[in-house]
Amino acid sequence: MIRGAIAIFKRDFKKFLSNPFVVIMTLLMPVMYLVIFGNAMGGTISHIPVGVVQEMPPYNETPLFSNAVVALNHITQKDYPKLLDVTVYTDETAAKQDLSKGLIAAVVVFPSEVSNDHAVRLYVDSSNSIVPALVESAVRGVLAALGANNPVMVTKIYGDIKYLQFFGVGVIMMAIFTSTMFGGGIALIKDRENGIHEGYLVTPVQRTSIIAGIISSGTVRAFIAGFMIFLIDILITGIIIQSVEDFLLVILVIFIACVGVTSLVVSFASRFSAQQEYASVVAFLNLILFMTSGAFYPVIGMPDWLRWITVINPEYYGVDALRSIILRGQGLDVIGIDLIALMVFSGAMIILGIATYRRTLE
Amino acid sequence: MLIASILKSNTGKDPVRTVPMEPLQKDRNTDHPTQDDTEIRGYTPHVPGSSGCVTGSGESIISIDHLTKIFREKNRAVTAVNDITLDVQRGEIFGLLGPNGAGKSTLIRILTTLLRPTSGTACVDTYDITKNPEKIRTIIGVCPQNSTLDVELTAYDNLEFYGQLVNVDERVLDARIWQLLKMAELADRAHMKVQTFSGGMRRKLEIVRAFIHHPLILFLDEPTIGLDPEARREVWQQISKLNEEKTTIILTTHYMDEAEKLCNRIAFVDKGRLIALDNLENLKRLIPAGDLIEIGFEKMREEVLSAIRKNTLINSVEVKSDHLHISAKNGSKVLPAIVAIFEKFSIPMTSISIRSPSLEDVFIYLTGKKLDEGGNQEPKPARGGRPS
Repeated sequence: MIRGAIAIFKRDFKKFLSNPFVVIMTLLMPVMYLVIFGNAMGGTISHIPVGVVQEMPPYNETPLFSNAVVALNHITQKDYPKLLDVTVYTDETAAKQDLSKGLIAAVVVFPSEVSNDHAVRLYVDSSNSIVPALVESAVRGVLAALGANNPVMVTKIYGDIKYLQFFGVGVIMMAIFTSTMFGGGIALIKDRENGIHEGYLVTPVQRTSIIAGIISSGTVRAFIAGFMIFLIDILITGIIIQSVEDFLLVILVIFIACVGVTSLVVSFASRFSAQQEYASVVAFLNLILFMTSGAFYPVIGMPDWLRWITVINPEYYGVDALRSIILRGQGLDVIGIDLIALMVFSGAMIILGIATYRRTLE
Repeated sequence: MLIASILKSNTGKDPVRTVPMEPLQKDRNTDHPTQDDTEIRGYTPHVPGSSGCVTGSGESIISIDHLTKIFREKNRAVTAVNDITLDVQRGEIFGLLGPNGAGKSTLIRILTTLLRPTSGTACVDTYDITKNPEKIRTIIGVCPQNSTLDVELTAYDNLEFYGQLVNVDERVLDARIWQLLKMAELADRAHMKVQTFSGGMRRKLEIVRAFIHHPLILFLDEPTIGLDPEARREVWQQISKLNEEKTTIILTTHYMDEAEKLCNRIAFVDKGRLIALDNLENLKRLIPAGDLIEIGFEKMREEVLSAIRKNTLINSVEVKSDHLHISAKNGSKVLPAIVAIFEKFSIPMTSISIRSPSLEDVFIYLTGKKLDEGGNQEPKPARGGRPS
């Protein structure tokens, strides 16, 4: 009995060691979890863009206003960089417009007098789950330090948004990624292992057609997954889609994100011949892309090096676009950038996939 | 094994590849001067440099010229195909015969554009394999050694899918699929998943699938490997049927009987080299020993042996315990004379058997080993071959 067990142990271990790539990935995974998950989730939020404006008239700045601006701009937490990046606006309407476009996270409107009946008005982007509270406490702190006893009136411009709703939007992207990675990618590699691709290769079918076929079937599968999660989101988290246009926009974003993510997975799945190697790489990729997509935690809380990943992360643009539409009711003018980024990314990945697909067995 | 040892003892030590190409040709020419001009053409080497693949007009549909394939792995190089030159005629069933690992599949993969040769050229129809792989893919049908059927699809779906990949006209596709299913006797299982099929049924399906677009050339890599005798016979029938439609068929196998049964011409391949190429009859004539006669006895006398040895048609006589092994050029003619000698000395015979040499005997004669052996042997680096 023991001999059998030892034989099986030896065999398994031999196989484990014979694939150094998988060994490395298995060791690397927890380390990456530590580094990325830790930084993405627990990072200190800093450099929150905040607009500051003084009520008019009078047109000259009050001491309260100028002191408050300086104070707000210099809030730091021990060794960390400063909390707020303050932009001074001269026009309240302009500041609010930037807020609704998502360029700044909050607008602080100071009254012209320091008194009990002139409130300091604070408008916050409530689609972000953590930032509003930080801004509010900073403003209150500064007022107290300056000895101003104006009340603070907080307006959440998108109403109360629960974390569940904030997170639910991110899960749509996650559904797209997981369905692609398990559905599309694994199926592709399984087909290759079963020799089905060898069957393609002796037919006149073009490399472009093979990749186009694989990507389009993967996209449809991913779209179904993403759309289902979107519907479930509506039912469970109570998000409300304001108009038919918003609904169509959501569908458009989900679709383009599906093309992007599927192309990404296919482009490198076509380079792998073994499921195990592929699975370890994809798990790794999933970690990086999902963690840095801002689905869990605002991107603003991440350290700079991690934020660079978001720049090339298609999931980030997907999450951002979906949040803009679903939580803030914003339109094409705001999410246009996200869509362009997603399309550029998809295009690059499709080209990469075609270029790297091996037309021979070598 | 006995035969092998006799042959070896007859032909001297190590007959491996000591039979060069030219003597084979000479042998054929002198023995059958009127026959098989085309056979000789099989050997006509391509003039290097005169490429452009103008074989389309001629009788050969594939011409391979000094083709070599070397696989490099880390610091080891394995020569899988070693300087092979041969032609395949239009409309024939051409057999590539050799032990496992001889390089048959590699050669097929090069011809079907799956691998690129390390050196040398090959033309399939009028196209060069390295310059025009797309064109070649439209005129060939391939049934690879390892199944490429999608077992999760039905038989019909597999054929439909493949038909679309190889551009079969959508208007005739359905009819064509049913025609093929009937040919493979799978029409009643058309809508069952392939994973429920037996090995023989899968193989037949795969062979007809390769044929769906009426290719000019059909490559079958070990079509009957792992099949039971019944299934093999069915596959053979199918291959013969396909050949009747004027398709050139190239078949690799390590089964003698398969090659004997199906092939017009057979190429022996061993360790990546072409060691002989001819039709079955001529290949068998390569063995100088001729037919083999075995006579059982209870007692033997020296006079009998010397009397038998006097016959000029007899090559060798050997006594193996209670059997006499005689090899003779024309066994059936010699036998009555031998029997007469036995009767003259009134020695009773317990058994008589006579048989012609099989392909396997030819292979043993040429390589010094059985076909089933050598599977795990590495092809040696080109002996006497060109530096690569």
